[in-house]
Amino acid sequence: MNIIGPDALVFGVDDIAACAQYLTEYGLQPVGGGRFEALDGTAIVIAAKDDATLPAGLGTASMLRKTIYGCADQATVDAIAQELRKDRDVKQLADGAIESVDDLGFALGFQVTVRRKLLDLPGELSNAPGSAARRPVNSVAVDDGMAAKPRTLSHVVYFVPDAAKAEAFYAKRLGFITTDRFTGAGPFMRPAGTEDHHTLFMIQTPPQMKGCEHFTFHLGGPTEVLLAGTRFVAKGYESFWGPGRHRYGSNWFWYFNSPLGCHVEYDADMDQHNDQWTAREAAMGADASQLFLFQHREKWAPGGPPPGAQRAPGDH
Amino acid sequence: MQEVIRLCHSGEIAEGSARGFDPKGSGRDTMFVVRRDGLHAWRNACPHWTGTSMAWRKDAYLNADGSRIVCAAHGAQFDIWSGACILGPCIGESLVRVTLIESEEGTLSVDISQLETST
Ligand code: FES
Repeated sequence: MNIIGPDALVFGVDDIAACAQYLTEYGLQPVGGGRFEALDGTAIVIAAKDDATLPAGLGTASMLRKTIYGCADQATVDAIAQELRKDRDVKQLADGAIESVDDLGFALGFQVTVRRKLLDLPGELSNAPGSAARRPVNSVAVDDGMAAKPRTLSHVVYFVPDAAKAEAFYAKRLGFITTDRFTGAGPFMRPAGTEDHHTLFMIQTPPQMKGCEHFTFHLGGPTEVLLAGTRFVAKGYESFWGPGRHRYGSNWFWYFNSPLGCHVEYDADMDQHNDQWTAREAAMGADASQLFLFQHREKWAPGGPPPGAQRAPGDH
Repeated sequence: MQEVIRLCHSGEIAEGSARGFDPKGSGRDTMFVVRRDGLHAWRNACPHWTGTSMAWRKDAYLNADGSRIVCAAHGAQFDIWSGACILGPCIGESLVRVTLIESEEGTLSVDISQLETST
């Protein structure tokens, strides 16, 4: 199945105005109809939680209502429809897309991908001695006004009451490949049409937590993650975890609380894998999740006060 | 050790709104006060995940109509008056109450020893 990755996540939210402001300040472009797009056209879509056009909720506090996957072509969408019709309803939508559910009750959509090619957007280059790919001479790495925009919808993380059952569904029915796994917690999976380490990660939880833990968009590199996150914090948004760098997938991360009932992350520089890759497995925990972690601190006073002087809270 | 710290004047918290405070000067709000049919003060620590700060933005602790406290990490909803989680990952658990001291002039203070231990 040539599924490329998530094209959009649809949420039924309590506070439309707060979510719209949040997603805009996160860096997505409001394009109308509750749609907030990254540079390549992938998006978060919000509607009122009681909007009758949304698929049913999960019966928990989660506001995620649908994950829409982008496929390479209509033939892939049709093949998925045929496969899922074997044991469940598949709704045909007007634009050729389809809608159904996975084995855990998460609503899924499949469509010909809306992803646009990103042109003239270089990734982050470093002046590492010995490396051929270096930043050109007279080109500076950072400036105060530099862009740090979400480029593409990277991945979504589900809380699932039965991770083994969920993994089997995505592997057997939709052709996802498990790249790594946290023992007893859940798999990192990528659909066959992308080399990203994961576009879906699932974590085993009690049923009352079923839903979305977080989603994230790829930025251009670690500097953009740090910059976008710093700007977000400066606007008053609440950092939850990060910035840091994950071990599995190697992606840089910074997570924030959100009014969408889940965390929202900035990420960058994820590992790419193909079929030669052998999945690793480790126990889930701080050591396995993060190679390193920094904490944002608003104040920094180089040198500090004279010895013995009173220090302000937060200064060290 | 008992140490009473002033938070604000009670008139600075409007009906149906919430406000976070950092009386210990930790750099992050460690408690918040909601005014809805009276004043209700809670530790800013979701029972679902040890020590999780609950707002999604400074002072944003309530849902759209101001009827519930919400944790913006995974959406848990809490009763404003009892602190009990009524929807979400930590159903049956509860926020930890902070006792407010209100002076006759309306100044709100707390004894910060209440905020000393982590949940
Ligand atoms: S940490 Fe509050 S709902 Fe998960």
